[in-house]
Amino acid sequence: MIEPAEHLVVDCDWHYADTFEQVAPYMPEPWKTKFRNSGWDSTGVNQGLSAFFPTSTGNRSNYGKIDREFSEYPQGGDDKADVVEGMEFLDVDATLQISHLILAMGGVTADDRRVESFIKGYIDYMLAEVLDPDAGIYGLAPLPYHDIDASMDVLDRIEDEETFKGVVMVTAGASPPLGNRKYDPIYERCEALGLPVVYHTGGSGLDDYVRAGYEEMIETHTLGFLESNMSQIVSVACQGVPEKFPDLDIVFMESGVTYLPGLISRLDEEYLKRAEEAPLLEAPPGDYISDFYFGTQPLEESARPDLLEICFDMLGTEHLLYASDYPHWDYDSPSIITDLPMLDDEQRKDILGRNAAEVFDL
Amino acid sequence: MSDGEIAVGAADDFDDGDVEIVEVGRAEVGVIRADGEFYALRNQCPHDGGPTCEGKVEKRLVGEWGGPGERVEQRYGDDCIVSCPWHGWSFDLDTGEHIGDDSYVVPTYDVVVRDGVVYVQTD
Repeated sequence: MIEPAEHLVVDCDWHYADTFEQVAPYMPEPWKTKFRNSGWDSTGVNQGLSAFFPTSTGNRSNYGKIDREFSEYPQGGDDKADVVEGMEFLDVDATLQISHLILAMGGVTADDRRVESFIKGYIDYMLAEVLDPDAGIYGLAPLPYHDIDASMDVLDRIEDEETFKGVVMVTAGASPPLGNRKYDPIYERCEALGLPVVYHTGGSGLDDYVRAGYEEMIETHTLGFLESNMSQIVSVACQGVPEKFPDLDIVFMESGVTYLPGLISRLDEEYLKRAEEAPLLEAPPGDYISDFYFGTQPLEESARPDLLEICFDMLGTEHLLYASDYPHWDYDSPSIITDLPMLDDEQRKDILGRNAAEVFDL
Repeated sequence: MSDGEIAVGAADDFDDGDVEIVEVGRAEVGVIRADGEFYALRNQCPHDGGPTCEGKVEKRLVGEWGGPGERVEQRYGDDCIVSCPWHGWSFDLDTGEHIGDDSYVVPTYDVVVRDGVVYVQTD
């Protein structure tokens, strides 16, 4: 058994609890002024995440049960010191910061430049006020993938910024799904820049992810996160993104691991019956999916140990990346990896930090 | 008829896409004409035991990608396949390999045409 404090621990999914008020001064015009004059202020912060009239079922803090000592989550308003303190609390050496607010971008359906402006402002804000390689605080740049030109602007912006170690594509709300040829220019550029693409499931649109009318977050959070990731994994694999861009590192975050053997098995079964419909593939899609990287959180530690063992065997422990999801309500500590009885110490060290150090060039 | 051969029938009686099922020992073998060539495969799908050789014979649909942002254009390629009518598992007529996963293989047999007669070689 190893102690996380004695080994490299890289947290691939730390959510910077940002606010629109923090980011807005860095947004390009006209949205910088529009936001200031809108009166949205804290409404802009709360909407869609934890408001009394939410766009997502339930309450993130489970109606007051969840409390975070080292973050202003869910209200937002963190600063670099909060991140540093939280990293000490969790015993992690490096984090990859993902905007908390951007996870709701799928709820923006207007064809305006709101998401793009937020992202550009967020990147400049993080560079100016938060990211610090000396403190192990790195960033992942969200992409406004619905607008390819805007995404290219973002990639131009971070191209020479060593503190951004990859990009984020929020899986919720992506239409067409993310294997579509529309997104090829993004993948081509990320492959050329050596930037991994981190697909991160999102909290928007969960209530009616397939049908409206769910009542509680236990239902929508369980199902919606899976649906968001599964729909994009299937699209990315079947449309041949790994064949088109063989040097692109593909990472999927935040749905645990137990859904993957089921998805792979079902997809491979379909493929045997309809192989011509995935003409770019040289092997069953599961072979490509098991080459992806997966964040471990929220790891299903209460599952049958033999099920977890099968998951680790199918995916390969060299493809698993520890992720806390801190400060979100269901975060995982590093001990969730070190306590797993079916792993040996070398595998634990790989998952906790060594795999991520390689993938993200830390 | 030579040893190790089974006469299937007159070559002229076959059109492209035609299949003739013959017994080779205890196995059924489908003799298929496709694109002017003769092929023979075990008539038993490794998936569920279906009559693979009695399925549709056609050119394999392939895709070509023109580059980033381009649609994957599909066209019928040069290889001929047969698809089991039960669930669609498709096999290359020449190799017997499943077109999506070559770990699944239907046994193949050599076919000769001599004096206008099609023979399956059973050795």
